[in-house]
Amino acid sequence: MKLEGEFTFSGPRERVWDIIRDPDILATALPGTKKLDLVGENEYEGEMQVRIGPVAGTFGGKLIVSNEVAPESLTLTVEGKGKVGFLKGSGDIVLSDQGEDATLMKYSGEVQIGGRVASVGQRLFDTVSKSMIKQGLDKLNEAL
Amino acid sequence: MTYKFIGKRIKRNEDPRLLTGQALFVDDVDIPGMLHVAFLRSDYAHARILSIDIEEARQRPGVVAIYTAEDMGDDWEPGPPLVSPPPTLEGVIFNSRRQAPLAKGKVFHAGEAVVAVVAESRYIAEDAVEDIWVDYESLPVVVDLEKAMESDSPLVHDDLDTNLAAHMFQKKGDYESAREQADLIIQKKFYLDRGAAVAMENRGIVAHWDEKSQHMTIWDTTQAPIPIRNGTAARLGLSEKQVRVIAPFLGGGFGPKAMMFYPEEMLLPWLSMKHCRPMKWIEDRRENFYATTSERQQVHEVEIALTKDGRVLGLSDDFLHDTGAFDPYGLTIPLNTQCHVTGPYDIQNIASNCTAVFTNKPIVTPVRGAGRPQGVFVIERMLDFAAKELGMDLLELRKKNLIPPDAFPYDKEIIDQAFAKFVMDSGNYLPVVEKAREMIGYDQFIKEEQPRLRAEGKYVGIGITPFIETTGVGPYEGARVQIEPTGKVNVATGIGTQGQGHFTSFAQIVSEQLGVAVSDVNLVSGDTAQFHWGTGTFASRGAVVAGSAVLAAATAVRSKVLKLASKVLEAPEEELEFENGTVRVADIPRQSISLGELAALANPLRGAVEPGSEPGLEATDYFGPAYGATAFGVHAMIIEIDPETMMIEFKRYITVEDCGTVLNPLILEGQIHGGVSMGIGNAYYEKMHFDESGQLLNASLADYLIVTAHEMPNRIEIGHMETRSPFNELGTKGVGEAGAIPVPACFTQALENAFQDFDLEILETPLSPNRLFELLQREEHEE
Repeated sequence: MKLEGEFTFSGPRERVWDIIRDPDILATALPGTKKLDLVGENEYEGEMQVRIGPVAGTFGGKLIVSNEVAPESLTLTVEGKGKVGFLKGSGDIVLSDQGEDATLMKYSGEVQIGGRVASVGQRLFDTVSKSMIKQGLDKLNEAL
Repeated sequence: MTYKFIGKRIKRNEDPRLLTGQALFVDDVDIPGMLHVAFLRSDYAHARILSIDIEEARQRPGVVAIYTAEDMGDDWEPGPPLVSPPPTLEGVIFNSRRQAPLAKGKVFHAGEAVVAVVAESRYIAEDAVEDIWVDYESLPVVVDLEKAMESDSPLVHDDLDTNLAAHMFQKKGDYESAREQADLIIQKKFYLDRGAAVAMENRGIVAHWDEKSQHMTIWDTTQAPIPIRNGTAARLGLSEKQVRVIAPFLGGGFGPKAMMFYPEEMLLPWLSMKHCRPMKWIEDRRENFYATTSERQQVHEVEIALTKDGRVLGLSDDFLHDTGAFDPYGLTIPLNTQCHVTGPYDIQNIASNCTAVFTNKPIVTPVRGAGRPQGVFVIERMLDFAAKELGMDLLELRKKNLIPPDAFPYDKEIIDQAFAKFVMDSGNYLPVVEKAREMIGYDQFIKEEQPRLRAEGKYVGIGITPFIETTGVGPYEGARVQIEPTGKVNVATGIGTQGQGHFTSFAQIVSEQLGVAVSDVNLVSGDTAQFHWGTGTFASRGAVVAGSAVLAAATAVRSKVLKLASKVLEAPEEELEFENGTVRVADIPRQSISLGELAALANPLRGAVEPGSEPGLEATDYFGPAYGATAFGVHAMIIEIDPETMMIEFKRYITVEDCGTVLNPLILEGQIHGGVSMGIGNAYYEKMHFDESGQLLNASLADYLIVTAHEMPNRIEIGHMETRSPFNELGTKGVGEAGAIPVPACFTQALENAFQDFDLEILETPLSPNRLFELLQREEHEE
């Protein structure tokens, strides 16, 4: 499934970049995140509690940052699994200045889901993932 | 032929029990000490199993045992090949790959069983499944049939060079030369997709090994208890006498419950022996979507050759058939497709090339129709396109090509699912077509009604589609009929029953011979302790094959009765008649004796049974047809489409059936109603959506749309014609699948007819309101 969207931060690009590269801040922003640890250069391990309609469970997995061009763009690759299924995906994030004190984030990527989240939750997955992204980005924006 | 019981609208013997909740289903079986099994199933469609951690689950209170494939040791072995490829067909390639009781090393489709948990209750077992952690390494997934056959495709079975499951070529005449003589050649490519059977009752098994009596009893939602008994005995190293399989009442079968040897069917008896305790597993609805078989995906590249006056000279069909991750059921489905792709038409030149393909999807085995709807869809679509090109009326083109009544028995020269030559026993097709045409008012609709409704801005269309159904194939079935001293009659047959009304239609056959009330005939079906020879209920063969065996056994009992009664009543056999549970002298009705008294006399407590005779009024007999019986029918419908929502309203729905002798019109009509509802689902609502990673995205009845009363026609008008089959004494032909078979073809024709201004060309099935909208948008954009 494709995920695509944009979001405007009320802050300068460098500041936005610092925030999205800070695991502690990220962990507070991603809804349901129980932990997010830096385990190697550009590699995080974490746990996330997710609820999609009737399906709820904890996903454990990896988050890898690559193709990093600070403070402009990066690629995120996630791979997570839990008792209710698995999730695999990657996406590109591009930041651009939006006037003096605002930054536009464009993201696009593809996510593959499997197991119970797919067979029972897929009808809601689109809405849930969009709302989770929105919540997360709002939190990050607040952190600015 | 005049019958007293056969052909009568008799209410079903079994219904009072079913309607008052007194019928036994597998889930009703509850044995003291019974344990419950739940399965951990693969989330991945294709993955290597790296490790399985069951420690946490093991510690959960109430968990008795946990098994992986490794824990089964030498007892781990894939299921048996159920139907081998036809030995009668030359040059067949068949790569047999069968499902295992539990996945070992690798999973081949999402939902494959990986771990079995045995616990004191199902709740505990389910919770323990959640405690288990399986580490998978995901592998590239094969979903699309055409991509699966490309040289760089990932492999489902990496011990094979390709994803080819099977290849077979069949022909009649010489298509190439027919092509050269043709005035018109049309080529099309069709995509047909997969749907589920969605029986109201999911699968379930209770296995009970009794250590003291060294006996296994299995209650199984199977359509084929005898093959399951035989196979289970072989797998467990038991004698067939030590295993009893009972298929009690079933809430629908529709094919997937036929002899499958599902992983759970292999595992539950094994577990019961291992623990010396009864074991129960009842499938849930989500499991049913993955763990129970489904069907219908094929891709056809078709060419039809015609003369300019509409005579079909030949048909060439090159198709891919999805068999899913394994192919235990052999080539039954594509063989049916090959038999039905020329339908009721006299086509002398046929070339049919079938490639069965492995994919990382649940296993494919027959679902009501079993390859027939695909064949019917292809030929009927091709004829629709041909009629358009030739400027001919759809029905006139078909009438021109029907097999004439004097051509029967008609040899299609194609090998069928029974591995016999597809010889069509009998038929008189034209009157059936004319009757349907008349009932729906075809000419009047086209000439008057449709133009008027179209002028009002309504999207109304008509469809009318003939079809054949191969039914009643061998190898054989048997039955035992016995008159009790109470005067009631016991009948036992080996086939299982899933709602077809066997308790009544078979009773009618017996009543016809013995003159007893239908309600006095008690049938036991699907219990190997009662009758242990036979194959099963599938391929619309119950009435024809088991029904004929019942007739043979009842006839044999009838002659025993006559012989004894003749002696007792001191009258020659020819002068005796059966009436209301008695035998009497035709001219002197007072001189009579009841069947019960005769039964008592036939089983004396003193004296001697004469040498050369048998005690009791009982007989066992069998029926094995060399060829099946081919039924015929026409469906016709008038539909109206709401152009805003694309929802359909059936204004009229007509079926005219010729299934030879009708045993019970009530039951026949019920079969047709159910079949039509399944067919409507197959045409417009039911489709299993697999994504490119092999995940089924609509594995619930909230997302997978089965037809409800709302989507059904208000009324299905049914007409009967009768061409008796010469291949069985009853003269009957099967009808169990008929209702479903032509619906997608007929519906598609009606849709195109309703949208004739759009130049809509439908090359796929099932459609959906959404998909129809997309196709119409595409047409608009192209214009």
